[in-house]
Amino acid sequence: MAVADSVVAVVAVINQKEGNPVIKKKPKSVSKALATATCALLGTTAMPVQAQEEPAWEFNTALLYYGEDDDRVQDVSIALLARRLFADDKILTLGLTVDSLTGATPVGAAPLDVVQTITRPSGNSTYDVAPDTLPLDDTFLDTRYAFNASWQQPLGRLYNGNVGISFSKEYDYVHSGVNAGISRDFNKKNTTVSLGFALSKDDIEPIGGTPMALTPMLDVGDLSNRLGNETKDVVDLLFGVTQVISRNLLVQVNYSYSDSSGYLSDPFKILSVVDPITGDTLPRVPTPGVDGPSHQFLFEGRPDERVKHSLYTQAKYYMSGKVLDISYRYMTDDWDIDSYTVDARLKFPIGNSSYIEPHVRFYTQTEANFYRATLSAGEPLPMFASADYRLGNFDALTAGAKYGWKTGSGHDISFRLEYYMQDGDVPSGQLIGNQLQRDMYPGLNAIIFNFSYGFGL
Amino acid sequence: MSNKKLYSMKLIFCVPALLAISACSSLGVEPWERDVLAKDEMQLVTDPIEAATDDHIYFSKEASSGGRGFGGGGCGCN
Repeated sequence: MAVADSVVAVVAVINQKEGNPVIKKKPKSVSKALATATCALLGTTAMPVQAQEEPAWEFNTALLYYGEDDDRVQDVSIALLARRLFADDKILTLGLTVDSLTGATPVGAAPLDVVQTITRPSGNSTYDVAPDTLPLDDTFLDTRYAFNASWQQPLGRLYNGNVGISFSKEYDYVHSGVNAGISRDFNKKNTTVSLGFALSKDDIEPIGGTPMALTPMLDVGDLSNRLGNETKDVVDLLFGVTQVISRNLLVQVNYSYSDSSGYLSDPFKILSVVDPITGDTLPRVPTPGVDGPSHQFLFEGRPDERVKHSLYTQAKYYMSGKVLDISYRYMTDDWDIDSYTVDARLKFPIGNSSYIEPHVRFYTQTEANFYRATLSAGEPLPMFASADYRLGNFDALTAGAKYGWKTGSGHDISFRLEYYMQDGDVPSGQLIGNQLQRDMYPGLNAIIFNFSYGFGL
Repeated sequence: MSNKKLYSMKLIFCVPALLAISACSSLGVEPWERDVLAKDEMQLVTDPIEAATDDHIYFSKEASSGGRGFGGGGCGCN
């Protein structure tokens, strides 16, 4: 049988390279010979292998720049991922990321045709917003350190387990989390079913304290409606099935459940209180001799519980050298946000060692049921309200490409440049009077640039 | 957790798993046909740092997260 002969020949070559006799043992059967040869070629441990790989480190490093236009958020990030490969397919992964954030971010207040003065989140000073300009807080400045570690190992022949920890620290925010997962292979390892969970506990510690929901922004130095620090707990569960469809096609389907509870508001976001006829923000007079807001603003308030369900599916398809990677995600939650994401990449090889990978991603979401562009002075105060544009109704598009190559010494280098834009609108029923003539929803245009370098030791 | 709730939880996870396994049993390849699937570019996540970076960006700019993996958070940016 030609196939069996060639397999025996492959086994013979492998044995020769290891300095063993050409054929130590006569294979007991063709199928065993095939499996042994395949596993030896792939370096897997599905069958007993004759030599274990030496422990080795793999490093991936990356430099990221994310920059929004109009002097909004700029992020420079450095990431390092180290993987130690042990014998028996055990893997230790360590990750470290440092983010440096600067720039301005929309605070949720509506634009107005006069100057607006707003108290900074710390309560220590104020800033002015020019007429007909979207109010941005320009004190957005933070450095974030994130660390994670995970351990993965086979548990018997068909199971694989992993455990991990994560920790991150910002000036006013601390996260710590644990996660674990288990997977089992079926059908000659063509089907893998996995189950995972993650728990995280976050501490929110803004300067000046967290503001009480839907209470007014006060004069400088008046922290009477501020509380102390707050916490947030998140429980994530994930159930996934990965299936090999054919020699060239692999599909994954994941269902995930996420339950967040605790302080889910953004302590820096506010809403304008407006005249029910003109739609203009109502003026306010600060205490004489003290700086304070020139108009009426309330701190936002979100529910203290959120349950999200996601269905994610991804396919990888190999087409004579090119690889198509396409994914789709549907998410729904009990804040009435529904979102759809489609992501597609196509990797084209260029010569033997380089490639180009165009990427496009489309995202759309509906607004949260408590999203309000402004609050009308004539109406009773709702139980929850937020003007955070990220909880609004918008579409987003990412388009770009990555170019990468392998160096002569086997190192991987790549550059990625992408453009990200958001375009949304306020539900028409929420716009009042003069608001109809103003740009009430902040769009977003950003550049994403990545340089990455990977090598092994 | 009550017995009834535990039973429901088992059903939620086991029934789809069994259905998936039985439906998928006729699909797939033999072990010696895994040459393409073993390539780096055919792994579900080919660049873990890029995947984590993208998840972080979109988590901080959109109301959705997770799907591919956990979307728990760990950032004051949202």
